[in-house]
Amino acid sequence: MSAAVIDATGQAGPDRTAGAPARPFAGVAREHLDGLYGYCVRLTSDRTEAEDLVQDTLLRAMRAYPQLRDENSVKGWLFAIATNGWRDLCRARGREVPTVSLDGSDPDDEFSLFATLAIEDPFPYSDELHLDFLRLFHDEDVHEVFARINPVFRAPLILTTIHGFSCKEAAGILDVPLGTLLSRLHRGRKQLERGMWDYAVNNGLVEVGDEP
Amino acid sequence: MIDCTEAVRRMWAYLDHALERGPAEEFETHLDACQRCCGELEFSRHLKGMAASTGSEALPDPLRRRIDLLLEGGGLPIEGGTARD
Repeated sequence: MSAAVIDATGQAGPDRTAGAPARPFAGVAREHLDGLYGYCVRLTSDRTEAEDLVQDTLLRAMRAYPQLRDENSVKGWLFAIATNGWRDLCRARGREVPTVSLDGSDPDDEFSLFATLAIEDPFPYSDELHLDFLRLFHDEDVHEVFARINPVFRAPLILTTIHGFSCKEAAGILDVPLGTLLSRLHRGRKQLERGMWDYAVNNGLVEVGDEP
Repeated sequence: MIDCTEAVRRMWAYLDHALERGPAEEFETHLDACQRCCGELEFSRHLKGMAASTGSEALPDPLRRRIDLLLEGGGLPIEGGTARD
């Protein structure tokens, strides 16, 4: 997949119906519904909003489908439409579209969950300290942690880690240069690590003397 | 040889197979000599796996029914954005 094949605006473009996809949209869309819903849930951090976004995405995609030239790219194409739809949803609901300055440094950039666990040692009798920490987290806990990550950094993390897109594909879906994607991905990972530690401390999953 | 800070910075990209050959080889050379980073790599692998496995969500049945209607109807009955009942 390349950014060039992702026309996620949902707007009618030049007539390319000569190369229209052979398969009907409904069948193609159904193959990606669970993945698309999962993406929307993580992106919006809200299941009701995610339901709206999935439906809005499908409506936009349905209109734009005849112009899709590469059926193999349909998953990324749907995710790109969802991403744009989510930005529109933020605007329509009077929320600022999340942005970030990449110039400033983030205090979480240097945080290491691995090192923090080794230092804080919340399970002194464990042979598997780090894995025991991860075992504390249920799905809903991870959902909470993801929800607190800045959406600009969250989106690359969701696309690559959860949905298996390559960094290049994720950059295409989010319509950013690869370098920007990699930088945001790194910050997303660090915010995930920091978020998991803070969540565990704040919810009493681990007991430590002083917060680092 | 790269240091631990740089190795950690490359770690998730390495797990994603997103590193180019040169940086990946430098990373692997570091791992050969650094038990700590081997441990962190293993931890990162588990962390990524956990994040990935909790990210799947099955479509709720009521939404699936609405989407079926939308897909079968070609989207025509529902205009302009959300398609809630």
